[in-house]
Amino acid sequence: MSENRKTNPFAPFLSALGRALGMPALALLTAFIIGAIVILLTSGDLLAAPTAYWGLIRGALFKQRGLSESLVASIPYVLLSLGLSVGFKSGLFNIGVEGQFYIGALCAAWAGQITTGLPAIIHLPLALLAGAIGGAIWAGVPGYLKMRTGAHEVISTMMMNYVAFRLTEYVITDKLRDVNSTTIQTPSVSPAAELWTFAAIPQRLQDPLNALGVALVLALLTALVVRALADRPDWKAKLGARRGLAIGGSGLLAGLIAFVALPLLTNAWWPFTDAYDRLHTGLIMAVLAAVGVWWLMEKTTPGFELRTVGANPNAARYAGMNITRNVVLAMAISGGLAGLAGTIEVLGVSICRCLPLFFSSGYGFDSIAISLLARNDPFGILAASFLFGAMRNGADLMELSSGVSKYIISLIQALALLFVAAPAIVRWMYRMKAPAGEEKQAPLTRGWGG
Amino acid sequence: MDTSIRKDRLLSQKWLRTLINLGGVLLALVIAWELLNLVIGRQCDGKCITDTLSQMLRVATPIAFAAFCGVVCERAGVVDIGIEGKMLTAAMVAYAVNLFSYQWLQSMMEASAAGTLSRWLALLVGILAALLLALLHAVSSIRFKIDQIISGTVINILALGVTGYFYRQFLAENLPAGPGTFPKIVIPFLADIPVLGPILFRQQPLTYIMILLAFLLHYVLFYTPWGLRTRAVGEHPRAADTLGIDVLKMRYTNVLIGGLIAGLGGVWFTLEAVDVFNPMMTNGLGFIGLAAMIFGKWMPFGALIGALIFGLGNSLTTTVSIYRPDLPSQIPQMLPYLLTIAVLTGVVGRAAPPAADGQAYEKQ
Repeated sequence: MSENRKTNPFAPFLSALGRALGMPALALLTAFIIGAIVILLTSGDLLAAPTAYWGLIRGALFKQRGLSESLVASIPYVLLSLGLSVGFKSGLFNIGVEGQFYIGALCAAWAGQITTGLPAIIHLPLALLAGAIGGAIWAGVPGYLKMRTGAHEVISTMMMNYVAFRLTEYVITDKLRDVNSTTIQTPSVSPAAELWTFAAIPQRLQDPLNALGVALVLALLTALVVRALADRPDWKAKLGARRGLAIGGSGLLAGLIAFVALPLLTNAWWPFTDAYDRLHTGLIMAVLAAVGVWWLMEKTTPGFELRTVGANPNAARYAGMNITRNVVLAMAISGGLAGLAGTIEVLGVSICRCLPLFFSSGYGFDSIAISLLARNDPFGILAASFLFGAMRNGADLMELSSGVSKYIISLIQALALLFVAAPAIVRWMYRMKAPAGEEKQAPLTRGWGG
Repeated sequence: MDTSIRKDRLLSQKWLRTLINLGGVLLALVIAWELLNLVIGRQCDGKCITDTLSQMLRVATPIAFAAFCGVVCERAGVVDIGIEGKMLTAAMVAYAVNLFSYQWLQSMMEASAAGTLSRWLALLVGILAALLLALLHAVSSIRFKIDQIISGTVINILALGVTGYFYRQFLAENLPAGPGTFPKIVIPFLADIPVLGPILFRQQPLTYIMILLAFLLHYVLFYTPWGLRTRAVGEHPRAADTLGIDVLKMRYTNVLIGGLIAGLGGVWFTLEAVDVFNPMMTNGLGFIGLAAMIFGKWMPFGALIGALIFGLGNSLTTTVSIYRPDLPSQIPQMLPYLLTIAVLTGVVGRAAPPAADGQAYEKQ
């Protein structure tokens, strides 16, 4: 294992994970302790805080379908925080992810109901794409305005949030209202455009077209992984000129196996049998998105340009990079991910598979905390998103079992963010010494000047 | 000789700028007027106009306070996007204090005096609550040198949590009757001036305070040593430090004063606008205040004009919904936000913030 270290492609994540766990864990602990003190002071009951926290844990993990509901809640967090992190790394504070989330949901709800005739292999990608493009445009415009006219993205995306809320409200109540429903909502999307739950996968795969779609996705992913592995020095020497063949062949092989075997296998044995379990394939998309963002930002030329523009726009300009294009690109990726999050909520989570009028999310602001908590590291974001998703999901049972309002969660999250952003405060609290060489950190964000 | 010419040029430039600004405001008013007529078809008579303009001033009040808070902080080099959170907290605290102190004071004096006293008490405690959050922002961004945007975000999330928590625990149900909001103060004689009177001199106290504050801030920032120091600290803290100005102390002072001003904007929501509190009531006005500040190029009067433009957008929305109830209400409701974006992109162009805005200062 240790001799493999140099070439192990996962070494960067592991060491990052190790480094990340120290201070954030301490910060979280401190935040929970202060939260307990607040509960104690406001309720005057010594047992209130333990009851509340136990309720929180039970609600997040142990109640019926608790864990899968926590995962469901963390999926939008992952995508939104990834979007924010792309912005932060490019020197942009896309505070408007909430609005992009709404627009993504709106576009997906529209694209999902235009027809019922299309098969899932076309309709589902179409709906996902519609949501992502909607979000990308909603974020790209402020990016363009920033470069062309200097309108700061914090203000303009914030304003775009409110426009998005009103627009969504208008479209739901007026243009796209489902006239057959008593509640105010858009028509349900076509079953073909629904995002599959894990429980429904075996049944979905019985349709050969669906199996073909899954096979295509798997083939593509296999080819991408093989392509990445083929660039390692030892493999490169072995493969030589057969690199292309290896990539294409393995992809084709994986696709074929998936197409033939998956429907049979899932039909024979499948762990997700609970039909009411809402855990859906968006989870896979969220994890893939995290890997994709990491790949894009750390391993590709466009990602390098984005990071350079973020770290030092002047240097980037002298190096001949197109700042405007990069800023718009960063905003579009950021908004696209946020739009995808909204899309997934509509296609995979909402009970009616539609966009209801009372579609409040509140995911956006939490996601700012998540991406800052994770220091914009995609794999840290996965962990922090699960934490936030679990807290969000557990909050109801906490409120029910202890009478402590679930807003205490926001308080704890804000404190955790504060402590993570300022390790000096935590060190000062616990009388710890600053570790040498860790003090100087590049700022995550910049003021109006950028 | 040379200096007098330069002074002359400076003077003429200043005049020119004021003229251009005034012209811009007039143009905006005319455009808004024509747009309004386009929608509601010349139904707006004299009373409707003065009502709309008076409403504009009213709605502009919290935005202007938020913008002033931004001006005071950022002139000293501290970015503050936590204004929204401070306003929300001040709004909640003022509401609670107004309600409960009224219950307590009623037993001691007659109802109207108790109402007045509890409202002013609520105002005071409300802005002190905002001051507390400003202190957090100051300590974390000046002492601990956290990224100021992050610190502001922390304050926003924290405020959301704290106000929501207290609202759900104590303020959601079984509430006693409160003393209500500040009544309008009609200024004698001035209020009888046609057109201007009803707009400017029949307002609630915080609106008057806001207008006076604009003059005060302008004077203080540009005509007193404190203002000069503030600007020096915001533009070039190292140079200011060399000249013996205590950079950190100036920044602490300014952030705390900014907190008080943001608190005034916050108490507006529950002491002037409506007599209830709900957890999302600031509705982005703190951020809009920042837009007004950028629009006003970090000048108090500029910020005021920015706030008034946004207020106008808001009051026009109300007017439109009165005359055209058939229009879906969401479309005019988008107007103020679109207006803010348009203002940021079209009118201002590239605004230059204070040079050291957002940078922590490390003493050497």
